[in-house]
Amino acid sequence: MKNNSISNICEELIFSNFFKTHVKTLKNYLYYKFGNEERAEDVTQEAFIKLWENCANVPPEKAKSFIYTVANNASLNHIAHQKVVLEYAKRHNGPTSSSESPEFIMEEDQFKVKLQKAIAGLSEAQRTAFLMHRIDGKKYYEIAEILGISVKAVEKRIHGALLELRKEIENFR
Amino acid sequence: MKEDIKLAKWLAGEMDEKELKEFESLPEFDTYRKIAEYSAQLQAPETDTDRLYNAITEKREAPKTKVVKLHQPWLVRIAAVLIIALCLTFVLYTNNTTTQIAQAGEKTEFLLPDKSAVVLNSGSEAEFKSWNWNKKRSIDLKGEAYFRVAKGKTFDVNTPLGKVTVVGTQFNVKARDNRFDVTCFEGKVKVTYKSQEVFLTPGESITFEDGEEITIPETQAAQPGWMNNEVTFVSEKPENIIKEIERHYAVKIELDKNVSLSPENVFTGTLPMNELDTTLAFFTDKYHLKAKKTGKGTVILSVE
Repeated sequence: MKNNSISNICEELIFSNFFKTHVKTLKNYLYYKFGNEERAEDVTQEAFIKLWENCANVPPEKAKSFIYTVANNASLNHIAHQKVVLEYAKRHNGPTSSSESPEFIMEEDQFKVKLQKAIAGLSEAQRTAFLMHRIDGKKYYEIAEILGISVKAVEKRIHGALLELRKEIENFR
Repeated sequence: MKEDIKLAKWLAGEMDEKELKEFESLPEFDTYRKIAEYSAQLQAPETDTDRLYNAITEKREAPKTKVVKLHQPWLVRIAAVLIIALCLTFVLYTNNTTTQIAQAGEKTEFLLPDKSAVVLNSGSEAEFKSWNWNKKRSIDLKGEAYFRVAKGKTFDVNTPLGKVTVVGTQFNVKARDNRFDVTCFEGKVKVTYKSQEVFLTPGESITFEDGEEITIPETQAAQPGWMNNEVTFVSEKPENIIKEIERHYAVKIELDKNVSLSPENVFTGTLPMNELDTTLAFFTDKYHLKAKKTGKGTVILSVE
C-alpha cells in the first residue's frame, strides 16, 4: 500500500474529491436523523469545515470516520427532532400501475402514505439504518462503519424497523 | 437463523431457499414485500454539491499546523522517570564524599584522584569529593596528615583551625584542639590562620596555639617524624603529649589525683613512639611520674 503521506486532505484537490464522494451520504444520514434539511446541511458543513481545519492531523484513511464523529457530536446540543417525512420519487416504476384497477392503485397509495407516517414514527436508530439501506442503497457493513456499530447491531435495527413498520401499518387498517 | 435479525437477512437477500420459502408462505409476507418495495422509492432531499462546497470554502479557516502526537504517551513518562533518575544519580555522584579515617593506634595511607598521597596519623580523619578533582583539589582534615601533592592546580587542606594551600609539594599539617602545626618539606606552602597568611619553604614550620605563634626551629628531615615513629615536639603542653600517646598506641592514660601537670611545663624533644614502654619511660622521666599498666588497655600515671 503506497504511503500517501505527501498527499493529505490539506490539498485542495484531495479535499474536494473527498467532499464530493461523501457529502450526499452524510447529509442524507443527517436528514434521516433530524428530519430537518437546514440542520442537516449546517451540520454537514460544520463537519467538512472541521476536517479542513484539522487536515494536518487527520490522515486520509481516518477522514471518513472523522466527519461522522464531528457530525454526531454536533448533533448532541440540539433542538427537538422533527418528523422525518420523505417524498416518493415522482417517477412511478413498473408496468404494474397501468394494468391495475383504480381500487388497487388507491389502496397502494394509501399503503404508501401509511408507510411514510410509520417511518416517521421509528426510533432514530432504526430509521437512520433502514433509510440508509433503502434509499441510499448502503450495505449493512457500510452502515455499520458509518454509525460506528457492528454489522449485527445494524441487522437488529433493520429487523426491528421492519417489524415496527408492519405493526404500524397494520394498525392503521 | 436468529429471530432478532431474520427480517434483516431477508431484506438483504441472505436467506437460503428453505428459509425464503417458509417466509414467503407467511401471511404477513405481503406487507413486508410492499414495505421493501415502496421504501426503496422514497428519496431524500436533493443536495446541491457545488453550493455546499462553496459555502464551506468561504467559512473555513486556515488549516491548523500539524500536532505531533506522541502516540505512546507512556514513552514520555518513561523518559521523564529516566531523566529524573539520571539527575539524581548525577547529583549523588558529584556530591559523593570519600572519608578516610585512621583510628587510634593506626596510620592510614591513601591516594587522591590525582595520585597525590596522604598519610593520616592516628586519630585523624580526612574528607574529600572526588568529582571534578583536577579542577578543585580540596580536602578537609581533622587531626594530622602528611601530604605529598602532585603538581596541578592549587591544593587546599581545610582544618577547623586554619587552611593550608599548596601547588605540588610535601608538607605536614597538624590540627589538634587549639594547636595548628604546619611543616613544609618540599616546595612552597601557604598557611592561612585566622586573618594571617604565612609562606613556608622547605624545612620551615609554623605553629599557632590559642592565637599565639610559637617559633619552631628549622628541620632537616625529609618527612615528619611520626611516620618513622619518632615524634618531635616543640613547646608542647604535656596534656597534648598524653593525647598523642593515647592516639598512637590506642591506650587510655589516666592521671592519679595527685598528679598535676602544668601547661606551662612544656616539652621540647623527640619521643620514640615504637614501643609504649619506651615512650612512657621518656615521658615519666621528664615529668617525674611513674606509669602502671592495668592490663585493660589503660595506663595510670602517678607521682613518683
